[in-house]
Amino acid sequence: MQQRRDEILAKKAKLAELKRQRELRREASATRSSLGGASPDPLIAPTPDRAGQKRDIEAIIQGIIGDSRPGSTAPGSPAQRADRPTSVISAGQLSSDNEGPAISSFHPMVDSSMQTLSIAPLSTVYEFDAAPPKEKEVITYSKGVQTSTDWSPPKSRGVGVGDSGSERDESPTRSPRASKRLSRRQKERDEEIRANLRKEIEEELKTAQHAGPENGTGPAGSKENFPFKTLTNEELTAVESSEDFVGFIERSTKVLERALDQQLEYDILADYALGGAAVDEEDEGYGSSGGKKGRRIKEIAQFWDERWSKKRMISDLGFSTKFPELVLASYTKNPSAPHDPDGLIQVWNLHMHDRPEYIFHAQSDILTAKFSPFHPNLIIGGAYSGQVLLWDTRAKSAPVQKTPLTGSGHTHPVYSIDIVGTQNANNIISASTDGVVCGWTVDMLSQPQEFLELSSPPPAKTDDMAVTCIAFPQSDPTYFLAGTEEGSIYPCHRYDRAGAKAGVDGRVKYAGHAAPVMSLDFHPARGQIDLGDLVLSSSVDWSVKLWKVRPPAATGPSATTTSSTAQTVTPILDIAREDLVYDARWSPTKPSVFALVDGAGSLEIWDLNLDVEVPIQKVTPSENKRGGLGLGGGAMKGLGYMNRSLNKVAWETNEGRRVAVGGMDGVVSVFEVGGELGGAETRGEEWSGVKRLVGRLEGVGEAAAAAAAAK
Amino acid sequence: MAQNTPEATLSQFTRLSQKPGVQSTLIISRDTGAIVRTSGLISSSASANPNSTLPASLETTGENYSNGRKESSMHSAEDVASMVWSFMSAAGKFVEGFDKEDEVKLLRLRMKKNELVIMPDPKFFMVLIHDTPPA
Repeated sequence: MQQRRDEILAKKAKLAELKRQRELRREASATRSSLGGASPDPLIAPTPDRAGQKRDIEAIIQGIIGDSRPGSTAPGSPAQRADRPTSVISAGQLSSDNEGPAISSFHPMVDSSMQTLSIAPLSTVYEFDAAPPKEKEVITYSKGVQTSTDWSPPKSRGVGVGDSGSERDESPTRSPRASKRLSRRQKERDEEIRANLRKEIEEELKTAQHAGPENGTGPAGSKENFPFKTLTNEELTAVESSEDFVGFIERSTKVLERALDQQLEYDILADYALGGAAVDEEDEGYGSSGGKKGRRIKEIAQFWDERWSKKRMISDLGFSTKFPELVLASYTKNPSAPHDPDGLIQVWNLHMHDRPEYIFHAQSDILTAKFSPFHPNLIIGGAYSGQVLLWDTRAKSAPVQKTPLTGSGHTHPVYSIDIVGTQNANNIISASTDGVVCGWTVDMLSQPQEFLELSSPPPAKTDDMAVTCIAFPQSDPTYFLAGTEEGSIYPCHRYDRAGAKAGVDGRVKYAGHAAPVMSLDFHPARGQIDLGDLVLSSSVDWSVKLWKVRPPAATGPSATTTSSTAQTVTPILDIAREDLVYDARWSPTKPSVFALVDGAGSLEIWDLNLDVEVPIQKVTPSENKRGGLGLGGGAMKGLGYMNRSLNKVAWETNEGRRVAVGGMDGVVSVFEVGGELGGAETRGEEWSGVKRLVGRLEGVGEAAAAAAAAK
Repeated sequence: MAQNTPEATLSQFTRLSQKPGVQSTLIISRDTGAIVRTSGLISSSASANPNSTLPASLETTGENYSNGRKESSMHSAEDVASMVWSFMSAAGKFVEGFDKEDEVKLLRLRMKKNELVIMPDPKFFMVLIHDTPPA
């Protein structure tokens, strides 16, 4: 016991001495600058404590610096291991934490007497920490030293401090109990010492932290390495004109733009518990027959670009089948910008409101364009020059392919174009106003694969047929309808077939329109009942007409009673409108719904099942959201009413929820229709309803025809 | 679009930086850490670049450094750049630890007042700082 006490006393003295030494060293450190001066000291000193101290210091510093140093940790005693976190958080707290693990870890290792002893050294370890903060540089140097010399003994097991070592040697002689009691007392004392030490360590940490940022290049490395390199003018222009940079700007601005726009649409951090966000009940505001939610229509986006859309008219619109958020718009030329390319296509993204996703050019006005339904990257278009063009969204803005301006293809404006066939075998079919219809393969536009000249059938005064639009039925790519400037619609065959030569089938004529036919659209027939023989035509004679076309087979020899005169078919439904009707399109999903746009600038949504005389919805694109102001003050303003005219309408084909319209003012407006007018799911009765309606209309038509004949 | 001249492309950047709510934008070269373009930030030589989309450092290269540090009231482009830089390297480290095969494609950092959108690219970073919409 006595011996033990003495030891403790001695140890205390030692501690005190060490503290003093530390104080001295601290003072000295100011003067001492070189490592060499500092490091030899502890190494030479007989007390290995210093090594431990140094190690701890290092650990602390490391922790502060945030660099992992496996070398120092691995051999370290548990105490030391604990030290590292200490340094990271707060020294005081951690050191108390250390005790636990330190003790417990020793228990199993050594006999009980040793445990107590081992605790004491631990405390001394802490005490020594005080000295080091001054010498940062020592770190690297001492590391080597530690491993080579000082460290080897401690490695055996964490206690590696000289003090403890010497005590341990003696400890076996003592009884475990005594040592336990001792340990309790000692613990108390140790607590005090530790408390003091903690304070000291904290102080040291503070100083170390202060020092860290200054000379600690390690942690701040990334920052320090960050070169604030300033570019000279030459470098700058080099960077800015590099392809990498341009491509990067291209990509990143798009992404950022989408990010911004997306945020405007919906704030994902919205907290509905906070304040009442206005519930929008403006449904009533839309359209004439408003009210019912399923039939509402709402404008969701308008696209206009100051640079490119200005003074151009929209000549065609189309949604991508693969990416339903992309809307393609083709434009005519800008008469006031002779240096800009005449033809323009902009592909707009519903998630990016202020700029187009892609821009494509052509040398001549583009009159029609659409995404290839068979290849999401390809866009085909027809130009005023008679060229058929092909763009690729992966390529630059110039067309990747175009037909030559020679006599082999079109020499007149191409107002209508389509891709027909299947995924693996499809053709581009184009029609120009001189009645020439050409078939092309997507791979080769240098020469038409098919060349067909449509001519008016016999009763007409001239042979010329001015084709304004063509339309293919879903089921048969060899047969199509051609609308003409004169108002009639003729069925045409691409190939010779039984009873009919390639070209206009003179036996049938769909007569009804008194002015140029502006659009033809076959029913998309995707439902239970085949309505593929229903055709919608629009004309500038202020009407939309619904036709039931004769299947091409029925027009065969047997069907024709008198081959000399064409059989005239009248529309089954004639819908008179209040203005020129420029375009009418079936909804891709709802069998009874179609949309039309007119010269007054209205978009009308019709549902034949509900009403065949009045549109379900009639809306006008909002003024001046963008486009109006673009035109503001421009020459177009004089046209007033005219510039509101809408030329084209297009449905989004997958869901049938969105309708894009565009016209004279070059603004693309996208509307979303309610669940009853759009959406992929349809009810059976909608189809049968249309079927019944058609049957009824046909009956009426026949009765009328019969009555007319009777007179 | 891709065919356009660098100026036209850069005008997109300019336009973006002028959108409502956008406070500042920054393009940093990844190779050198150089700031290629900024807007809405006081770069150290702000006075020399009233245009603000011009790079921070056209003429007064030397002075930049010393000046930049002093303007603490507003962020200087250099400060933001270095913060972004370290943020991105931290993010890079994180991703590497998460999945070695992966990489950072976009970082959106939503703060109470601002949102930071960082778009990394093999050679550049584009940084956009904008107001968070009123919640």
